[in-house]
Amino acid sequence: MSVASSAGYLARRAAQKERVRILYRRALKDTLNWAVHRHLFYDDADELRKKFEANKHVEDLDAIDRMIERGEAEHNKWRHPDPYIVPWAPGGSKFTRNPTPPDGVLHSTTVLSPF
Amino acid sequence: MALRAAILGHLRVPVEKGRMVVGSGLGLGLGSWIERRRGMSSSHDDHLSKEEVAQRVLSVVKTFPKVDPSRVTPEVHFQKDLGLDSLDNVEIVMALEEEFKLEIPDKEADKIDSCNLAIEYIHNHPMAS
Repeated sequence: MSVASSAGYLARRAAQKERVRILYRRALKDTLNWAVHRHLFYDDADELRKKFEANKHVEDLDAIDRMIERGEAEHNKWRHPDPYIVPWAPGGSKFTRNPTPPDGVLHSTTVLSPF
Repeated sequence: MALRAAILGHLRVPVEKGRMVVGSGLGLGLGSWIERRRGMSSSHDDHLSKEEVAQRVLSVVKTFPKVDPSRVTPEVHFQKDLGLDSLDNVEIVMALEEEFKLEIPDKEADKIDSCNLAIEYIHNHPMAS
């Protein structure tokens, strides 16, 4: 009994930890998206961190699951409609936009150098 | 076969000539011109050297408030060696993303837990800059 159940316990615990890490990561990024200035972000981030730390020592697996559900629902509700995306990444302003190479690179015989 | 060789030979000559004309005529090699264009472009295709990546990763980790800078080495593990917890780990990875202008997928970012792994990942990322 004990080996199988403790293995199951550890697997479930690991999955929960990963969910919390990813939730924290997404929430932290969104905090930065909502912050108009960088110095406002630091306070918001501290508050977010406190929310996570408050339930640090909860041991009951089902209670943890419920808390994660609640946290994910709350994060979903407050998601930023227009988040910052690095320009080259999918959804970014430069995604799949490739400038034509300068003339001199392809046809060195016909190049008229501007310099 | 002979025709192909003749065509190839013919094609190759003007290119050589053109480069010489450009290079000698203006005293500015085509190579340096391309280099300069590349420096001005924002396509992020800068190919950082491993030393530079390592140095910048270490400086990011060292400036993290909860870290003792004297203990940071390239082999250090964030949670085991520096006494951080998993949420600090998330924060460090986010700081690294900002430092190198990267967007790391959540599942991959979750796996980065040591300086070594971070340096390796960022060095192999084509868009790191």
